[in-house]
Amino acid sequence: MSDSVIIARHLSKVVDAPEAKLTILDDVSLSIARGGSVAIVGASGSGKSTLLSLLAGLDLPSSGEVILAGQSLATLDEDQRAALRAEQVGFVFQSFQLLDSLNALENVMLPLELEGRRDAAERSRQLLERVGLGHRLSHYPRQLSGGEQQRVAIARAFASEPAILFADEPTGNLDAVTGAHITDLLFELNREQGTTLVMVTHDARLAERCAAALHLEAGRLKEDQP
Amino acid sequence: MIGRDLPLASRLLLREWRAGELRVMLLALLIAVLVSTAISFFTDRLQRGMATRAAEFLGADMRISSREPLPQEFLQEAINNSLQHTDMVDFSSVTSSDMEMQLSSIKAVGPDYPLRGEVRIAQQAFGAEQVATDIPDAGSVWIEPRLLNVLGLEVGDTLEIGYAQLRISALLTHEPDRAGDFYSLTPRVLMNLADLPATRVVQPGSRVRYRLLVSGSEADLQRYRQWLEPRLESHQRLTSVADDNRQIGSALQRANQFLGLASIAAVVLAGVAVALSASRFASRHYDTSALLRCLGASRQRTLRLFLLQLLGLGIIATLLGLFAGWLMQWGLIHLLRDLLPPDLPAAGPKPLLVGSATGLVGLLGFGLPPLLRLGRVSPLRVLRRELTPLPGSAWLIYGLALSGLSLLMWQFTGNLPMTLAVIFGGALAALLLGSLAWLLLRASGNRLRNAGLAWRLGSGQLLKQPAAAAGQILAFGLILMSMVVIFILRTELLDAWQAQLPEDAPNHFALNILPAEEPAFRQALDDIGARSAPLYPVTPGRLTAINGEPVREHVTKDSPGERAINRDLSLTWASELAPDNLLREGLWWEQLPPSDEHRVSVEAELADSLGVGLGDQLSFVIGGATVEAEVSSIREVNWDNFTPNFYMVFSPGALEGQPSTLLTSFHLPADQRDGLRELTRAFPAMTLLEVEAILQQLRDILDQVTLAVEYVLIFVLLAGFTVLFASLQATLDTRLYEGALLRTLGARRQLLRQANRLEFSLLGALAGLLAIVAAELVTWLLYRFALDLAWQPHFSLWLLVPLAGALLIGFAGALGTRAVVNQSPMKLINRGA
Repeated sequence: MSDSVIIARHLSKVVDAPEAKLTILDDVSLSIARGGSVAIVGASGSGKSTLLSLLAGLDLPSSGEVILAGQSLATLDEDQRAALRAEQVGFVFQSFQLLDSLNALENVMLPLELEGRRDAAERSRQLLERVGLGHRLSHYPRQLSGGEQQRVAIARAFASEPAILFADEPTGNLDAVTGAHITDLLFELNREQGTTLVMVTHDARLAERCAAALHLEAGRLKEDQP
Repeated sequence: MIGRDLPLASRLLLREWRAGELRVMLLALLIAVLVSTAISFFTDRLQRGMATRAAEFLGADMRISSREPLPQEFLQEAINNSLQHTDMVDFSSVTSSDMEMQLSSIKAVGPDYPLRGEVRIAQQAFGAEQVATDIPDAGSVWIEPRLLNVLGLEVGDTLEIGYAQLRISALLTHEPDRAGDFYSLTPRVLMNLADLPATRVVQPGSRVRYRLLVSGSEADLQRYRQWLEPRLESHQRLTSVADDNRQIGSALQRANQFLGLASIAAVVLAGVAVALSASRFASRHYDTSALLRCLGASRQRTLRLFLLQLLGLGIIATLLGLFAGWLMQWGLIHLLRDLLPPDLPAAGPKPLLVGSATGLVGLLGFGLPPLLRLGRVSPLRVLRRELTPLPGSAWLIYGLALSGLSLLMWQFTGNLPMTLAVIFGGALAALLLGSLAWLLLRASGNRLRNAGLAWRLGSGQLLKQPAAAAGQILAFGLILMSMVVIFILRTELLDAWQAQLPEDAPNHFALNILPAEEPAFRQALDDIGARSAPLYPVTPGRLTAINGEPVREHVTKDSPGERAINRDLSLTWASELAPDNLLREGLWWEQLPPSDEHRVSVEAELADSLGVGLGDQLSFVIGGATVEAEVSSIREVNWDNFTPNFYMVFSPGALEGQPSTLLTSFHLPADQRDGLRELTRAFPAMTLLEVEAILQQLRDILDQVTLAVEYVLIFVLLAGFTVLFASLQATLDTRLYEGALLRTLGARRQLLRQANRLEFSLLGALAGLLAIVAAELVTWLLYRFALDLAWQPHFSLWLLVPLAGALLIGFAGALGTRAVVNQSPMKLINRGA
């Protein structure tokens, strides 16, 4: 456990709903080892995405603590958390989140350009070739299929060599065959770069490929956890 | 930090541009800058052109006058400032032939006279005119035709002025600086300054005006003026285009006000377009902002990246706009070349400054507030798309934008009351319009609930977000309001001017009619078909004291009061108040208790300048005797209408026993000018003054103004359409998505087309209704507080404007939403996901 890259202690998230307070996460504690792969699984509304957003520092818990890459997120303000994300974290989303106004190459370059890296274009080109899109560099997202868009998103996620990759239903918008290809790609890159992978999914087969799975039910982790 | 982000921001900007994201915003900014630059260029040049015309009335850009010869250093400094210059000496003297004598006003001019405008001469009375290329040769004079009649002379004969004998080489038909005081004018003689010593008329103590005329570039004149003003002594007077001549002054002023107002409308409209497109830009970039944050950019840096893009866009738009505005102004001037003065002066740097300032104010004031929301996008939006940032306190920034705009407006109009009237009228109207729009929308929504599907869909679009729809109605309402206000002002201001100067405005003044000749003169006017104003008795007299104190102590230098006391006033008495005079204070004679005291009614502006009020005792010296009169009323006088008007009107009997002549003005159609010859023969002592030429000059100016106004209106319209399309663009995304959805559900294109048309027609009609309400309010405020005109409601517009709004916006809306009807639903559903 000493090599845990993500530690969560007693996380709770409560939001104001129209009639009463709604508890989305209830006292969740976990730890994820460096280089590992963990699937967060559960039914719709079980709090998977909320847990992911708390672990990634996109949102703050109502109570409890997250330690990401050795830093307690509670002690960081929003901009410091952003800086931590820039350094350590990559994302892959269900809805790809590519910018419509940028072409494939430019979408991948974006995080590198934010870092100010001079080799942004070269490295992005390599990554796009690695994901099999070397011939579609100047295509805009609307000119790409769903699977191709997700491959661009994966190239972008790995561009800044993150220590941790968060993936939110990465195959959720894709058909089974394409989804399988994307999954393969994700795991290959994960292995090559030694990234810690945290994946939200309700696809059981995808979850099985991860080293561990956390089952969420109504905001609580089920007891049969490792 | 900025240095590091600048290249990235430029790259992002370039990519956004390539992807076509920025075109609407750039267009809006571009048009804002273009419109204000073009209008500013055009009005600047036109104003300079009109100032040139006004300068013709002075014969120069600036005139320095004195009772004594002007110091040599005044001339030297004019030369040092590379100004054109010439000397002139005015005086009255008896001129004579072998048989007759006549008091004449003589103007001895130096070479280069006039510096502005032209002198026209003819070889016989009422003969063909030609423009004089020089001044009279030494030894010769040009005289007014009527002097020929009086003295029984012909062209070529000799005229005596003092000891000099000068040959009459031509008849003087037009001199540019004639339009001064009609009442004191005796026939004009124009002579060469070189002949002046030979006349020996000008002796120490003679009543003479020495004048120095100067002309040149504005900067040179300004420098000269600054040097000169502190050196002027009390008897020396500086007159420039801006402060000379009532008639031209007020026409110019109104023209400036109007053009300024049109510019304001265009700038406000363009600002609205910028705000709308910036808002669309912002809402389309929430995802980008969230993603940047997610990728580790700080809130500050994200915002900085967007602001740098905005700034870059602003700079590009401003440069393009300045250039396009400059081009457009040239095109405009080219189109109007036959109607504009041929030598329209070049514009100064001001239009470029105004254009850039408009770009900056529009960008920061209207573009910034929506963009600031981009800094508040939560990174969590990448997971939960429904998270849109809260609207911040944009009030402060809109307040700043409004203040900036106010400054711009003030700059445009140079008229603070008008600027304030427009701003407060506009703000009040916006508030009223906004709430009213919201109420109307809800009312019509309730009414349409049971209407057909197309109606429900159309009004549903508006009712879905009533606040947004009210905002749109407000935006369109403002455009229509501006257009309506301009339309109303255009017609009514011009009507007001035209009403003051109708085609049958008096075009001749007749002075020095002997009281005994009055019946015969009336008859003679009837005979030649002239229509005459009443005949007023005129007695020259001087105001010497107010309540026993010498009048000099009451006036400050350069005030109208000073002008009035420096010379003989034309005093009159009348039993009736002249029809276009208005009593501001006090009562007319018949409403006052009978009294043995003499009473006098004073013109309002002069009264203010002299600090004279009701009950004050004025002393006049008339023909060597002192006459006392009590101020019993203060009159507003319309000086623009070329009928006889007087600073001082005495009660009947007050001037009894004083020598007087009669004065009137009359209209004689141009084709009956032959009658003038008979008139001057029958009444040789009468002085006849033709104001036709002056009127024509004034009409020319009004025509130019009308023209400018109409073309400026085109720019305003252009700005209006930008807003229209910008606001359509702003809602296009959701429309496309919903249109696709409806078509997926089986809606026919006809239905969608109908719903769109109904939606925008409803929007247009409501906007039109609000526009006319607001326009009435704004014009009332303007008329009441800035333009000083009588206001009446415009009932026909109450029907026309909503109808025009429905048609215009209905058509443009259908045009702008064609894509909703035409694009493939499948594609849209895919994209909307």
